Amino acid sequence: MPNTKTRLAVLIAAAGMAATAPVQAANWLILQGTEPAGAAERARLWGFIQPEFQYTEGTELEAGPFSGQDAIFNTIGPDRDASSQFNIRRARIGVRGQGFPLDSKTNYFFLVEAGNNGITKPGGGLGSLKLTDASVTFNHFDAARVRVGQFKTPGAEEGLKAIHVFDYVNFTSVTDGVLLERYIDADGSAPNDPNGPNGPVGAFRDIGVQLFQTFKRDGWEHSYAVMVGNGNGLARSDNNNEKDIYLYLSTEKIFGGKGARRQGWKGFVWYQQGDRTLTLAQGTDSTADDVEDDFERKRWGVGTTYLNGKYRAAAEYIVADGMIRNGTDGGAIPGALSNAGTSRASLNVLPEDEADGWYLDFGYKIRPDIELDIRYDRFNRATDTDAAERRFDTLTLGAQYFFNKKTRFIFNYEFREAEAPNLPNSAVPNQILDGMDDRISAQILAIF
Amino acid sequence: MISQRPWQLRFWAALLIGLICTGALAAGNPDKPFAEKHVVLQISDPDPFKQTLVLNVAANLVKHYGPDKVDIEIVAFGPGLRLLLEENANAGRIDNLVDSASVRFSACENTLSKFTQNLGREPELNAHATHVSAGVVRILDLIDEGYTLIKP
Repeated sequence: MPNTKTRLAVLIAAAGMAATAPVQAANWLILQGTEPAGAAERARLWGFIQPEFQYTEGTELEAGPFSGQDAIFNTIGPDRDASSQFNIRRARIGVRGQGFPLDSKTNYFFLVEAGNNGITKPGGGLGSLKLTDASVTFNHFDAARVRVGQFKTPGAEEGLKAIHVFDYVNFTSVTDGVLLERYIDADGSAPNDPNGPNGPVGAFRDIGVQLFQTFKRDGWEHSYAVMVGNGNGLARSDNNNEKDIYLYLSTEKIFGGKGARRQGWKGFVWYQQGDRTLTLAQGTDSTADDVEDDFERKRWGVGTTYLNGKYRAAAEYIVADGMIRNGTDGGAIPGALSNAGTSRASLNVLPEDEADGWYLDFGYKIRPDIELDIRYDRFNRATDTDAAERRFDTLTLGAQYFFNKKTRFIFNYEFREAEAPNLPNSAVPNQILDGMDDRISAQILAIF
Repeated sequence: MISQRPWQLRFWAALLIGLICTGALAAGNPDKPFAEKHVVLQISDPDPFKQTLVLNVAANLVKHYGPDKVDIEIVAFGPGLRLLLEENANAGRIDNLVDSASVRFSACENTLSKFTQNLGREPELNAHATHVSAGVVRILDLIDEGYTLIKP
């Protein structure tokens, strides 16, 4: 008997096939890997760079076993050595097209990352060039295109949309907390193991195969995607035999335009499920005696986007069940030695807890070259455990200046607050979180 | 009442026939009897942007002169023939140019044979495409008829 995942996959595929004729209209599924038929180059070189500056006051931890040391939330990644820094956040270059120009049905997409971020330098480790996208798309069937390789997974809007049209410098707390996956070996309970990342952040990508298609009817565009992948991050093989499944449905009223800034009103739902292998510490370090187990990781969400003339809006609600990233011990930098000298701070994960969050986002163009933005997001972490629950609220004010269609300047001011809602104000976690600084960021984005 | 003499009738009839013949022999498409400009556009480049460009040029000519006053034929050969493949993403724009301004599209059979050889099957062409034996010969013929060649 087919399980729930299989039924959902079949239902979505059937819904897609039941729709009308397929089109080449642009959306995130189509834009990132599919070429216009008969009108694509053999190899089109493209990319973008994002130099940036970020700043917090650098307030140190005010309580707990690491009091007086750097607070991870007031340092700037990926190195976490400073509270203000210039950085090349992203520098990507790639080629895309149809390798055999007469065959429009076969497209490819290749992109590498050379910037300084969680992809190239996870946990502040050695940086290097990393493959972010390498996919081949087959457009042979009306009901379903087929994409194989490494590519963005169908899911939440912040992750799925092209990063070079992202309207802010930093992701919302909920997207960063439960969707931008960090791969670690253990749950962080061993007192002397920093439990650092064992590879690049997931970057909303996976290696696998995806069926998807877009259909147009009466000015509306309906899309679906079904994907199966390793669920183990970028440019490496799987670490278990369980595969992740990704489901996505969207419908959009098209107002006009084309490409990444096409105007329309879209609604979407998505679901992801997979297993993660984790070591649960039994002693003072992760050793062979520790217990290794698989834990289910589920994510789902529903959202909407709107872009029409001067106005832009987006909202999304995201739920996470299992593999909840739970910050670091005492809010310290992973590897930091406690003031008592008895333990080291580590990355932690709650493998069977839950989380949720949402955001509201508005943008308004006051001139063709200037857009003002405001975003409010909330992230409720570890909602299944009263003592561990944390709530993050961020109000981001932003402005974008467009030098031209491919170059812009982004400025953000983030008012950041966090608390442990089920603990008294005087509790150590609340004293630590009271020290969370606002964050200022400025970024140039240049696409070529 | 003044009666018309036979020589006057013959004169006017001859003049009318002469004018009709002159019009028929002028450059262009019989479907475009009022066209004042006759243009052949060449697309032979592999760059997909050239596809957009040649269609833009055709649309701009129609916009400037009006659909009845300009006679346009787009001749595709070499890598440029991809514009006239049935699946081409610009098919909607081709439909519009045909429907709104009777723009004609010619597809080179020599190139089509090469495409067929490379693909292992004959590719489907846009329904609006007319086969010509050789794109470059078609362009020369049109020039002889008084067309102006433009290669965007």
